[in-house]
Amino acid sequence: MDILDTLQISATGLSAERVRLQAIASNLANARTTRTEDGAGPYQRRMPVFEAQQLDPFGSALDRELASVQVTDVALDERPGRAVYDPGHPDADADGFVLYPAVDVMNEMVDLMTTSRSYEANANVVDTTRELAMRALEIGR
Amino acid sequence: MSSMTFDPLVRGLQTVLDLRIAQHGLTASNLANADTPGYRAKVIDFEHVLAQAVDEPSAMRRTDPRHLEAGGATATDPLVVELDPAPWSVDGNSVLPERETARMSSNALMYEAVAKGLDHKLDLLRFAVTDGKA
Repeated sequence: MDILDTLQISATGLSAERVRLQAIASNLANARTTRTEDGAGPYQRRMPVFEAQQLDPFGSALDRELASVQVTDVALDERPGRAVYDPGHPDADADGFVLYPAVDVMNEMVDLMTTSRSYEANANVVDTTRELAMRALEIGR
Repeated sequence: MSSMTFDPLVRGLQTVLDLRIAQHGLTASNLANADTPGYRAKVIDFEHVLAQAVDEPSAMRRTDPRHLEAGGATATDPLVVELDPAPWSVDGNSVLPERETARMSSNALMYEAVAKGLDHKLDLLRFAVTDGKA
């Protein structure tokens, strides 16, 4: 068990939350994007997939309990999206319906809040880890 | 010689410091995985470890450090408990950020307390080796 391992774990937590933040930013920016570069319909909502990964599979029993977090995939939301009647729109189909992405702004805002809180929590752990390490250096001073 | 500087008290305090650092690592792990589906929060069962160290001095004891442990957790190989997710948890994740943050604070406080105890112990040693002048 190394104090640097703890910092490493918090670092993975911070970067995972940052990836989620980027996905939310992308989703909100493209909430009304009706076409994509490959021409396959509206923008699809991005969802990062988090996975706990053992930090040290060959360490002591205690070290094997430590898990960092990795973004293993950024999944696409396969739901068809909202059909809105707007015959004047250049991307309207024959019946006059335009397909908008399945991005729920309310949903994204809630995700944004939890992401921000989780990021803060990891940053707090970094601070406390630093305090503990500094205190260890002062033992017996 | 080593028996004086590293008497059972100092060694005990060192062990507790190690345990507190280990718990801090688990808390870091828990908070990093606060949004990982299916992840279960892990904590060191301090009460169990300390009860074993204090209340059961006559329990299974090794006469030689090379002997194998007679089961159960020890201070150097503590019992790590996985917490069950709350009934309303939809993704099977049992990390409650508030609980982990509170645990982190109290753990850091205990670390500080034990480090202070070690400071005092070393102060006494310094007092002794300087003929009571320090």
